[in-house]
Amino acid sequence: MPTSTSNPAALVSVSLHPDPIDPYQQLEQWQAELGAGGAEGAAATSLFIGRVRGRTASGAPLDALELEHYPGLTEGQLQRLASVCACRHRVVAVMVRHRTGLVNCGDAIVVVAVLADRRGPAQHCCQELLETLKHDAPFWKREWSRGVGEWVMGNTPLVEATAP
Amino acid sequence: MSASAPDSAGPPVAAPTVRVRLFAALREATGWSEQQVTATALPATPLKLWHQLDLASAWPADGAAMPAGVRVAINRQFAEVHTPLADGDELAFLPPISGG
Repeated sequence: MPTSTSNPAALVSVSLHPDPIDPYQQLEQWQAELGAGGAEGAAATSLFIGRVRGRTASGAPLDALELEHYPGLTEGQLQRLASVCACRHRVVAVMVRHRTGLVNCGDAIVVVAVLADRRGPAQHCCQELLETLKHDAPFWKREWSRGVGEWVMGNTPLVEATAP
Repeated sequence: MSASAPDSAGPPVAAPTVRVRLFAALREATGWSEQQVTATALPATPLKLWHQLDLASAWPADGAAMPAGVRVAINRQFAEVHTPLADGDELAFLPPISGG
């Protein structure tokens, strides 16, 4: 059963999901809810789907990634981070869907969508919120590899393409 | 002024009992996830409870401060290590987060 918080004034929707999620279904539902709520249509939508990669940080094969959270605190913090970002970029609406528990390789772990009037705010807000979530979202990750679990200390780096 | 008034400001403060919770690697390093604790050093603060519970033996730090990266939450809101605790509070010690 997902847990969620929402802030109608800022049109920020956040929820945690202990079971697998379909990112496109989440997006469709959210957009339908926005429409039903009378939200103004937006011309630009930015979407990010993060999935669990098949290797640990050290390169070993990954069985699954476990995400522990602190019920109550984690949802509240995600809501705050998303609200601040939405306000800074003056976007129309933000959606965050995040998995908890054991997440299999290839499964979606995070989905962020941003609606805005222009592509710039939509893309910038989505990018900034993702980076904020990577650093400040209160989750603890444990990589399971060959039946052994190891807590992850730190965040996965943002890897940019480099010129040859 | 009454002759029987105490020298210190106000009446004695009762020691608060708080629910202490640990998460992830810190929970596994100590072997427990939560317990009710009555503070022995007043005014009670997260840092004093950290030392009262001897959590530094499971998660060492330099000196008497909280270890780098360990955060505190009171009643499911991030808080400072010197924030006074009240009876019935939920205090959580959070090991370094690994993000979303």
